[in-house]
Amino acid sequence: MDECKVIIMGFGAVGQGVADALFMKKELIKEKTGFEVKVVAAADSSSSAISAEGLDEKLLVDTKKNEGKLSAYPEFGSDKNGAEILDAVEYDCLIEATPTNIVDAEPALSLTFKAFEQGKDVVTSNKGHLALKFKDVVSAAEKAGVEFKYEASVGGSMPIINFVKDTLSSCDIKSINGILNGTTNYILSRMTSEGSDYEDILKESQELGIAETDPTQDVEGIDAACKTVILANSLLGIDATYSDVKVEGISKITSEAIELANKDDYLIKLISEVSPDNLQVSPRLVKKGSSYDVSGTLNMATVKTDLADEVSVIGLGAGSLETASAMLTDLISILKNKN
Amino acid sequence: MRMDLVLELLDVPGQLVSVLEPISGLGANLVTVIHKRDYKNENGMVPVQLTMEGKQEDLKNVINRYEELGFSIIEIDGVIKKEKISTILFGHIVDRDLRDTMDKINAIEGVLIVGFDIKLNGEDKSTALINVEADFGKKQMFFKRLEEIAQEKELLVINEV
Repeated sequence: MDECKVIIMGFGAVGQGVADALFMKKELIKEKTGFEVKVVAAADSSSSAISAEGLDEKLLVDTKKNEGKLSAYPEFGSDKNGAEILDAVEYDCLIEATPTNIVDAEPALSLTFKAFEQGKDVVTSNKGHLALKFKDVVSAAEKAGVEFKYEASVGGSMPIINFVKDTLSSCDIKSINGILNGTTNYILSRMTSEGSDYEDILKESQELGIAETDPTQDVEGIDAACKTVILANSLLGIDATYSDVKVEGISKITSEAIELANKDDYLIKLISEVSPDNLQVSPRLVKKGSSYDVSGTLNMATVKTDLADEVSVIGLGAGSLETASAMLTDLISILKNKN
Repeated sequence: MRMDLVLELLDVPGQLVSVLEPISGLGANLVTVIHKRDYKNENGMVPVQLTMEGKQEDLKNVINRYEELGFSIIEIDGVIKKEKISTILFGHIVDRDLRDTMDKINAIEGVLIVGFDIKLNGEDKSTALINVEADFGKKQMFFKRLEEIAQEKELLVINEV
């Protein structure tokens, strides 16, 4: 039996989701790929747990939840953090789930480059390095001859990157329009169904944990713009970076605007447009009952192709296990290629 | 009777054949066809001009068949089909010379405002729903020009996807 040793960097909602999902799907991965996946290290922002013999995924999550940091992991807890972990133990694949940083893309950028230099495959859910330096990162992976997969960076569990690359591989992609941010879709959906004001719904969403304490990244369209850049680069071959996207968020949307849209049978959604002549995130009118009519935290994307015309996908755009599902799918496809 | 049509086709093999087939198949006759593949309109489509002859009933069946097949008919007997477009503006719409804004929109070629609904919010910014009718194929130009007008007047535009 072959072994695949993984390091999970970043142990927030996504990192913990990966640990949980690995625990649940070990047998399935073994069946599908012939590999036994072993977590040899996991790290949060300040500490880690490291064991070449493999760590217990459940215990990792419990330790983080109960003690607040991974250094409290019995016997194998450590104060090592960041890039030094990649030197501390032998591994095959880095599962990188650190928080997105849209200023300098760290720590994801350094960790990813280091893993490439070590000849290791990388699976990421991070958007920062992809939105700022897509070309650099992807060509570094090619140069190192390793696999680099990032399905989880766009749309959470909604398949889009692998879907277009693999399943729609016969088609030229003309454009992609989609709802790529669940938080804003939730806020707009509630404003529509209740006729309430933006500020009220935002506050409630924060209390429910759907919006963050600092909601800027979501409501000002920054998160959606990062995903727009990733789709532009990976699926349309557009050499773009974050600053090439025109961005307008939803904070100016009033209940009056939603009411007026409703009069003509429209909804207002925060739409990412990815096309060779326009990279844009902005509130747009969409017809009720159309494929854009998805509510709550759902994400969707409509891919315009030459042969298959329009194809749409819908799925949960965020969430711990949901995002982990995309990362595991990436890991499985890497392992399948090893056979 | 005769009927002149302009259709929009995708630039992929087999499109012209599927446009011509229903004509004889449904009992009408083709008089002329002009298909210039090297010209594409702003939607990236190739326009095809057709003239066909036949009984009114048969010509109607051909039109219905085209609609079933999903071909866009943009002109029948010289009359350009219109599309309805809704758009929302947000900002100091009245203070930034509403009349001038509407005049500027109406000045866009092939575009006419047919509906206007505004919600005022005291001294605050207001929201307006504007319905326009545009000649087929003018949509993107309308969006572009509207964006310029809105920028000049510091208005937020919410356009159709």
